[in-house]
Amino acid sequence: MILRHALPPLLLLAALLLAWEAAASAGWLTVIRFPPPSRLAASFFELATEGFPYGAFLSTHVVATLRRVLAGYLIALALALPLGLLIGASTLLERMAAPVVAFCRSVATLSLLPLALAWFGTEESPKIFLIGYGCFWVMLANVIAAIRMVDPVLLRAARSMDTAPGDIFLRVMLPAALPRIAAGARMALGMGFVVIVGAEMIGTSIGLGALIMEARTFYRSDITMVGMACIGAIGFAITAVLGRLESWAMPWQRGRDA
Amino acid sequence: MIEGAAIEVLGVGKRFAGDPAGMPAVLGGIDLAIGANEFVALVGRSGCGKTTLLNIIAGLETASAGAVRVGGALVTGPGGGKGVVFQQNALFPWLTAARNIAFAARNRGLDGRAAAALADDLLRLVGLEGSGRKYPFELSGGMQQRVAIARALALDPAILLMDEPFGALDEITRTDMQDELLRVWEARRKTVVFVTHSITEALLLADRIIVLAPRPGRIVLECRPELPRPRRRSDPALARLHEAIWEALRDDHAAAAA
Repeated sequence: MILRHALPPLLLLAALLLAWEAAASAGWLTVIRFPPPSRLAASFFELATEGFPYGAFLSTHVVATLRRVLAGYLIALALALPLGLLIGASTLLERMAAPVVAFCRSVATLSLLPLALAWFGTEESPKIFLIGYGCFWVMLANVIAAIRMVDPVLLRAARSMDTAPGDIFLRVMLPAALPRIAAGARMALGMGFVVIVGAEMIGTSIGLGALIMEARTFYRSDITMVGMACIGAIGFAITAVLGRLESWAMPWQRGRDA
Repeated sequence: MIEGAAIEVLGVGKRFAGDPAGMPAVLGGIDLAIGANEFVALVGRSGCGKTTLLNIIAGLETASAGAVRVGGALVTGPGGGKGVVFQQNALFPWLTAARNIAFAARNRGLDGRAAAALADDLLRLVGLEGSGRKYPFELSGGMQQRVAIARALALDPAILLMDEPFGALDEITRTDMQDELLRVWEARRKTVVFVTHSITEALLLADRIIVLAPRPGRIVLECRPELPRPRRRSDPALARLHEAIWEALRDDHAAAAA
């Protein structure tokens, strides 16, 4: 079952890697700019055992990046979830907040990098702030939309059944909004991994984003690519886990996938 | 108040806030008395105000003029012994069939165990024993509406308000559901107000049929198919009533166009 789902994308991936390898062997791609998969595998091994810069192992980079992303992400979620529920539940607040949310979401997070450095120095906090900023607005907009988009017929049904106002919020609006809230949480995490590369450009040589930038100064395209692949793999793995978690926590949503 | 009336509609008028000046009202002063355990069908074209009238009786919408009494008490909001069955998709998708029904039962003060037992009874009543643990998405449209009827009955309402409950079903399922509803109604006598745009459906089910015409929404015909149930579609008496109702609808339409 899993194999049948996984096989087509794996075949495509294998075909692309083979073509890439062949193009490099044939001399159509310069190894220094487009290091072939075999070179990347060697670089991956080098990164894992010797580290790049020397002594900074792949695991060190991964852990540093994960810690920053998760810290910023969890803070953003903890703030955006209650605030979004509050704004979403009030027409007045929603009207007041809508342009602010649209504006702040549109500001590219990394354009705040100079400000983040000015406000928070160059240690961990500006990185976590930038990730948090990116995640926060994505999550907030999604939580507000999730509450606003609850099917009115469900609320009418709840009211027709003498449901207490508190129960309407907790036992009707919240579960009705949950699938969209979960989707928002997944999108916000994706944003965290977009922001991290830029956030790690300054003030550190540890972290996958820093690794990618550091490799550039040494003309190590292979290391850049390995770093990219790691970020992709981590994002993919976390998204898959979250997807499983959602399916487990919301069994009534399974029908939507079929 | 009118002696023995379960529902009294007293000069109910309705205008929508967005209606342009000079446009006839959605409801232009409806007077109607419905007896205890009477099955009344409201029939009319789209836009004749039949659903609006039902919602006003349910307390889900407010009248611009007039008032509604249910059991002698003025209607000021939804709930309070007024069960509503909506057209479709008003079940809570995150609750199983049994828990949807128990939700209503618990709202009228039953504890968890009593609510679950009542849900089982009602599932049996609507012919869904064994499907209690299924989520709405796992049930067909007809089965979902059976659960919706059971959920409304779990409130132990004095009156049952049904807004085109079979309107989204295919004709065969719809015919089954009409039989099913009559069977349930024989078992649990209630005052029923049933909105439909199907003249045949009204003739098969109702003690009394109220024919409404649009803008201003008003009663143009009342008739009582005094025939024992189950009624046959091919019954010549029903055919004559069908003709009379159709004429009333057509004449009004022609007059409006002229």
